[in-house]
Amino acid sequence: MSDEHIKTEDDQEEEEYDELDYIAQKDAVLFAIDVSKSMLTPPPPSDEKKADTDSPTVAALKCAYHIMQQRIISNPRDMMGVLLFGTEESKSQRDDGNQRGGLAYPHCYLLNDLDIPAVEDVKILREVIEDGDEAKKLLVPSQEPVAMSNLLFCANQIFTTKAPNFGSRRLFIITDNDDPHAGDKNAKSQAAVRAKDLYDLGVVIELFPVSRPDQKFDRAKFYDDIIYRDPNEGEEPALVPTTLTSSGGDGIPLLNSLISDINSKQVLKRALFSNLPFEIGPGFRISVKGYNIIQKQEPARSSYIYLDGERAQIVAGETTKIADDTAQTVEKAEVKKAYKFAGDTVFFTPEEQKELKNFGPPILRIIGFKPQSMLPDWASVKKSTFIYPSEEDYVGSTRVFAALWQKLLKDKKMGVAWHIPRRNASPSLVAILPSTETIDEQTGGQVIPQGLWLYPLPFADDIRQAPDCPTPVVAPDNLVDAMRKVVQQLQLPKATYDPRKYPNPSLQWHYKILQAIALEEELPETPEDKTIPRYRQINKRAGEYVHRWGVILDEKARAFETERKGAGIKRERNDEDDGGPKKKARPAHSAQSLDGMSITDLRAAIAAGNLQKFVVADLKEWLNSRGLSSSGKKADLVERIEQWVENA
Amino acid sequence: MASKEATVYIVDQGASTGECHNGRVESDLDYGMRYIWDKIAETMMANRVTAGVGVIGLRTDETENELAETDAEAYSNICVQKPLGPMEMAHLRDLQKRIKTSSTDHGDAISAIVVAIQLIEKFTTLKSGKPGKYARKIVLLTDGQGTIEDDDIEPIVERINELGIGLVVVGVDFDDAEFGFIEDDKSALKAKNEKLLKKLTEKCSKGVFGTAAEAIADLSVPRVKPYRPYSTYKGKLSLGDFRSYPETAMLIDVERFFRIKVAKPVSASSFVTRSSATDGAASGQSSHTLRGDTEMTDAPSSVGDLVPVRSATTYKVDDPAAPGGKKDVEREELAKGYEYGRTAVHISESDENITKLETFSSFEIVGFIPNDKYQKFLNLGESRITIAQKTNEKAAMALSSFIHALHELDSYAVARIVTKDGKDPQMLLLAPSIEPDMEALIDVPLPFAEDVRVYRFPPLDRVITTSGAILTKHRNLPSDELVHAMSDYVDSMDLSEFGRDEDDLPTEYMPIEDTYSPIVHRINQAIRRRAVQPDEAIPPPPEILTRYSAPPPELVSEAAPKLEKLVAAASVKKVPPKVKGKRGRREVIKPLSGLDIESLLGREKRRKLSPTNAIPEFKQMLETASDVAVLHDAASQMAGIIHELIKTSLGDQWYAQALENLSVLRDQMIEFEEPDTYNAIIRDLKAKLLRDELGAGRRELWFQIVRDRKLGLIDSETAEASTVKQEEAADFYSMKLEPAE
Repeated sequence: MSDEHIKTEDDQEEEEYDELDYIAQKDAVLFAIDVSKSMLTPPPPSDEKKADTDSPTVAALKCAYHIMQQRIISNPRDMMGVLLFGTEESKSQRDDGNQRGGLAYPHCYLLNDLDIPAVEDVKILREVIEDGDEAKKLLVPSQEPVAMSNLLFCANQIFTTKAPNFGSRRLFIITDNDDPHAGDKNAKSQAAVRAKDLYDLGVVIELFPVSRPDQKFDRAKFYDDIIYRDPNEGEEPALVPTTLTSSGGDGIPLLNSLISDINSKQVLKRALFSNLPFEIGPGFRISVKGYNIIQKQEPARSSYIYLDGERAQIVAGETTKIADDTAQTVEKAEVKKAYKFAGDTVFFTPEEQKELKNFGPPILRIIGFKPQSMLPDWASVKKSTFIYPSEEDYVGSTRVFAALWQKLLKDKKMGVAWHIPRRNASPSLVAILPSTETIDEQTGGQVIPQGLWLYPLPFADDIRQAPDCPTPVVAPDNLVDAMRKVVQQLQLPKATYDPRKYPNPSLQWHYKILQAIALEEELPETPEDKTIPRYRQINKRAGEYVHRWGVILDEKARAFETERKGAGIKRERNDEDDGGPKKKARPAHSAQSLDGMSITDLRAAIAAGNLQKFVVADLKEWLNSRGLSSSGKKADLVERIEQWVENA
Repeated sequence: MASKEATVYIVDQGASTGECHNGRVESDLDYGMRYIWDKIAETMMANRVTAGVGVIGLRTDETENELAETDAEAYSNICVQKPLGPMEMAHLRDLQKRIKTSSTDHGDAISAIVVAIQLIEKFTTLKSGKPGKYARKIVLLTDGQGTIEDDDIEPIVERINELGIGLVVVGVDFDDAEFGFIEDDKSALKAKNEKLLKKLTEKCSKGVFGTAAEAIADLSVPRVKPYRPYSTYKGKLSLGDFRSYPETAMLIDVERFFRIKVAKPVSASSFVTRSSATDGAASGQSSHTLRGDTEMTDAPSSVGDLVPVRSATTYKVDDPAAPGGKKDVEREELAKGYEYGRTAVHISESDENITKLETFSSFEIVGFIPNDKYQKFLNLGESRITIAQKTNEKAAMALSSFIHALHELDSYAVARIVTKDGKDPQMLLLAPSIEPDMEALIDVPLPFAEDVRVYRFPPLDRVITTSGAILTKHRNLPSDELVHAMSDYVDSMDLSEFGRDEDDLPTEYMPIEDTYSPIVHRINQAIRRRAVQPDEAIPPPPEILTRYSAPPPELVSEAAPKLEKLVAAASVKKVPPKVKGKRGRREVIKPLSGLDIESLLGREKRRKLSPTNAIPEFKQMLETASDVAVLHDAASQMAGIIHELIKTSLGDQWYAQALENLSVLRDQMIEFEEPDTYNAIIRDLKAKLLRDELGAGRRELWFQIVRDRKLGLIDSETAEASTVKQEEAADFYSMKLEPAE
């Protein structure tokens, strides 16, 4: 068995189902970056060390470059493209043998066509950013203004042909020009009509306005005519619309605020379930949506690759069900399910199968409330789901939800509820926990929103029996006191666990290497791993206290042992009246296991040739615990330990 | 736990057991057997060869047991219906025929117990002559109406205790004051027998005596499957780096086990009905045999006319020269690698682990946080428990000091664990747990940076307007009245003291230990029942599995006045179900500015759809349609564009776009209550695709329409105006062409 991750087929089925809706909605994002004189002007020079020197266009390109690399890791199935507008040069979608994409869009330059990014796309962006000549050639503003209707129709065609069936399609416009068609009513109308086309096509326009140093960006002039509010959002309260500034010295560099702003919008709010009835009391319901905010991210699995073609390509395996006897393919509808039972099988019809899993329609129903302190630390099963009210089915859901949230937060209470997220999903019991908002101090962006969380509770069936263990040896008070000092010395910054400070080292390393191979760069030597404890700091801040604790432990442990031995001897006497030879107590030192030895002890042991006296099992364990190989003969093991001690 | 078992069931089949009592319509035998069958099925379900089951019939017409050969008188009318051994389906079917009420009342229960003891003794004695390690049990089911001799009871009890046999007596309508059952019109014989059997079980060290009603009621209480402790890490818990700082690092020998492991329902295997040899042609393309790798997903053998289903995987690569643009390749021709975006990154076998982070088994403290600063919803998964390694008292003492220090400081520790060399690191939160018989650290996995997604949500305690103003009074914010009503209601629904313990003192309602996984037990229970009674419909879930699906009624009635106030203060209004169909009810969509786009568009009313901008123009044409003729015209223009896309598609080049157009067409026709317009179009499209009228090799597209997008006929369930029934819509997905088409 392989550690903790034992997965059965069924396991996966259930899990895949769980995430199905979530993954099915693929996202395509097209960046439209304005190239104009003002957008190409770097911020005024500043004395600050970290002063912003990028022009807004370059910052936007850098941002796209950053987001592209990030999405390859986090959203490997999603598309992205970069379209420059206002450039002297024009370039539209590649001619694909069909003239349908062949319309000309003057002063629109398609830098990266909309697609799942390839290495070439990353390279293209990098060249523009890093290579001055390349940028100089390309980033030239056109003499005549670009027609916004053209840009919008260009985007329309890109989405229509490249991402027709994507659930989410978004056009990100980054510009500092709040009135591209000042005075030209006709051009404005044309743009508005093209914007309506995009809306009907299902493309959402997101605006990232950059304020010029001298002038605030005014959406009312033009962009309010082309931007629609998502009708599904209904009349939910809005977030503050942000305006970015290219500020130069003071404040956050434009690039960072752009990245943070785009990041907060880049993962669309994909609901895990929508308009779920939330029954707060019998007959009293509101509706909520569920979101997967916490989601374990794993490196992609390796795939099969075909190397014999013109270029290496990923091979998609197609799995078909076939009958064991005839090897004919089997339609899904023909498959019957049966359970193994005492060497035979037990059958249910598909209707019965369904009925067995049916515990009623989707619902979140409150059973009652308990103090949060009644939720034991061990009662943890899997990630929680964030829920947020929706006015779609019940008007007034938001205020009721907010009142419940306030109450739970104020009195540290939790709801307990019966939860069926989707039709035919297995019911579970959940605790409903409130969250306070956390804000990123640097960017001011929201990290954890206000709302409620469905925290899955374990069933009696999920509780594993405690391992057998002898009566605990309770530590004496002074030993606890010594440890308390250690704990007090080593609080994490801001006294919280902030996940953002701990990138997953395996995931990062995996993609860093892949990227290096793909871009034919030199492989990095050592991984950056922020999860490794800060040994130097720990030594500096708590070393002294740990040492003191160690001294007390040695002393107390010895005392404990002597006491117990004493008791043992007494018993022996009672048992054996003949007063026969007492078992010789082993000296304290040799009772020390190999594992318990400090470096100094080990050096002494090696010098005295005592290492040989340990049994092979001990030597192996010692090696294993340090991640060293434990294969070979005893002599090899001893030699390996000696080597290690020498290098330590 | 997987120890060996030997259980003998003694079933009283005497003539008297055919009667029905106490208002039941089933015989006493059938009634009592509910308990026995379920117990047997439970054993069978575990699919374990080491669980031996035997069944002895008592007061049977025949006599068939070894002891009767020497003492025919004492052991008459006792029949070994199934010798002790593994229990298979065939045995069950056989037993069901054998367990029938007899026509005699002769046969002694105590003698039957002696026969059972003999069976068990023989079965559990090892070849060496020593008794094997078994869990031994005798279960006697009787109606207490037979004659029982009780002269020789002492040596029998002695033997039972010697062998460590558990003796369970289950009596039909036996008195049990504790359970709350007393039979008033009891015969003198039954009363005497009850007393006798009760005394017998009391003398046995592992004796249980109960009434059938209780045993049957207990069946619905799910039995939680026990597991052996599973160790996930054995090694050091460390603080600081003892290599660089040997004097100031903490090292404790610990071992870590599962604390929570989610129980999954048993999984079903896939089968198909054995096909009569020649029906391949009818099902179109499903008749060709697949090449490529095949692997068994599950490996049951054929049962009756059912054949197991396995998976076969074929690999296809793009090849412009091949028909359809794809060709099959063998798995052996393929190399391994990863996807970096759209790019395939090949990694040769020798470099296989190049992207893997090199790690070494370790369990290290990173730092500490006060426990009120941690929000539990960050927990990423199942909890584990860490204790000091057994027999290492120094480690136990060291860990104890760590646990107590955390406890006294109301703190959690944050740690990084690598459970084995080469495994990925995981961050953990460690919480102290102090119980009288165990001190431990409980841990739960923490999310990494990549595991927390950024979604922005508007706040719940204030409203921000589009202009950026902050409001504290708004219809989306609760009024003071609502806040108070909610607070009172929440307090009135408190469960922390609503339960009752054994001494009837207030205790927590719905503790985790009392909640059972509905899905796991529902399926288990149904399988057991189906095995025993194949013809019975599946039973509804027992009450115990749905007990916590709603608040307790007493609490609800207590809290009713508070709820009433809350409902009044909330004044929530249900949105009426969407008025179906858009016709005559035009919703005007406007941009943020409220600009009337329609008037801009209106100047050039759409009449002709351009293939390049088909979806928006189609929608706009429908929105401004003045009569049905325009709807039909728009739909048929759209159909024409779809045909054109398919016809001119190079391989599957335009399939996605055609499908998207089709899906928009379908949605709009549902909204505009024109389902049959779509139905005619899709029927026509199916015929064209299957007859290759839109180019050869387009049948694959039909699969996409069917399987991936579900864009078939609109049935009357979906749109009332449709003339297509649900079954017809389902049938339509096949590859068959209807004669009419």
